[in-house]
Amino acid sequence: MSGMSKIVKTSVNILFPLTMIFGLYVIAHGHLTPGGGFQGGAIVASGCAMIVVAYGSKWVFKQINEKRLSTFESIGGVGFITVALLGLVFSTVFFGNFLAGSNLLFGTTPATGSTGADFNTGGVLPLMNFAVGVKVIAGLFVIVLVMAYASSVKEWDT
Amino acid sequence: MEKRTIVAVVVFAIVAVFFFFSIFLIHPFGKPGQVNMDDHIIANTQNETGTNNGVTSTVFDYRGFDTLGEATILFTAVAGVLMIFRRVK
Amino acid sequence: MGMEFLIANIIVLILTVVASLVAVLLRDLLAAAVAMAAMSLLLSLEFFILQAPDVAIAEAGVGACLSTAIVIIAIKGTKRTEDE
Repeated sequence: MSGMSKIVKTSVNILFPLTMIFGLYVIAHGHLTPGGGFQGGAIVASGCAMIVVAYGSKWVFKQINEKRLSTFESIGGVGFITVALLGLVFSTVFFGNFLAGSNLLFGTTPATGSTGADFNTGGVLPLMNFAVGVKVIAGLFVIVLVMAYASSVKEWDT
Repeated sequence: MEKRTIVAVVVFAIVAVFFFFSIFLIHPFGKPGQVNMDDHIIANTQNETGTNNGVTSTVFDYRGFDTLGEATILFTAVAGVLMIFRRVK
Repeated sequence: MGMEFLIANIIVLILTVVASLVAVLLRDLLAAAVAMAAMSLLLSLEFFILQAPDVAIAEAGVGACLSTAIVIIAIKGTKRTEDE
């Protein structure tokens, strides 16, 4: 799938940063607003799929190859399980929330009831949101990118 | 009438009857059947997990194993796609 | 549950069923993919009306954008029209 016309490329150039900002906002504020790692990652991967449609998969493959994206996905999965196992070490159970109420990173406890949003709350939930976000971004983008590239060439080698 | 058509009509009728009688068993909107776990999570999510978003605290803390399974599903999907569309030497 | 809530619910659900019927009945697969994206977007709106914004965001991102992109890529690799 080669690149499309100049109008599409200009529209994508304008829309791509806005999509990135919105998706990363949904990931970063996953413990305060609706959304989280999976939803924000899907939004960011949609923006990357827009780049694939507008510029062609061969051009995207020159910038980043699928082995690096696969590595990013593994990093996200390992980070998620690592945070869960740290709960086993510092707390008592698997997926234990050892940072909540400890006054360390993300350790503030909000008052019970309807309160204002404080970013420094949530314990391990923001860390898990970041890990799952990286995993979902890389995973969904590598699926779209590899399928687009494999359908655009007949016999693809190196 | 073919044999396959008769079988399809019978199976469709059975499934339709089950769906029709399950309509009367649906609880009304906004009134769940069992409320013990819901009340516990709504009352204690701000003290126990320290966040204002009850849905995220349920997904990542109370029900962390489900999210681990979801991550495994995504990993398996990516591994399968990369295996099917691998580079042919 | 107010009256306008019920009316919006019924309209969105009927439009969802109509969009999915169009997606099934069309012979042009590219138009069927677009109809499926419209169905997914209406389903996301229905989730939002039912006060589940998390599911609505996930449905709009995955169902309306990524799965449509994957289906269109698959159509581009094969044929555009469905055989009789």
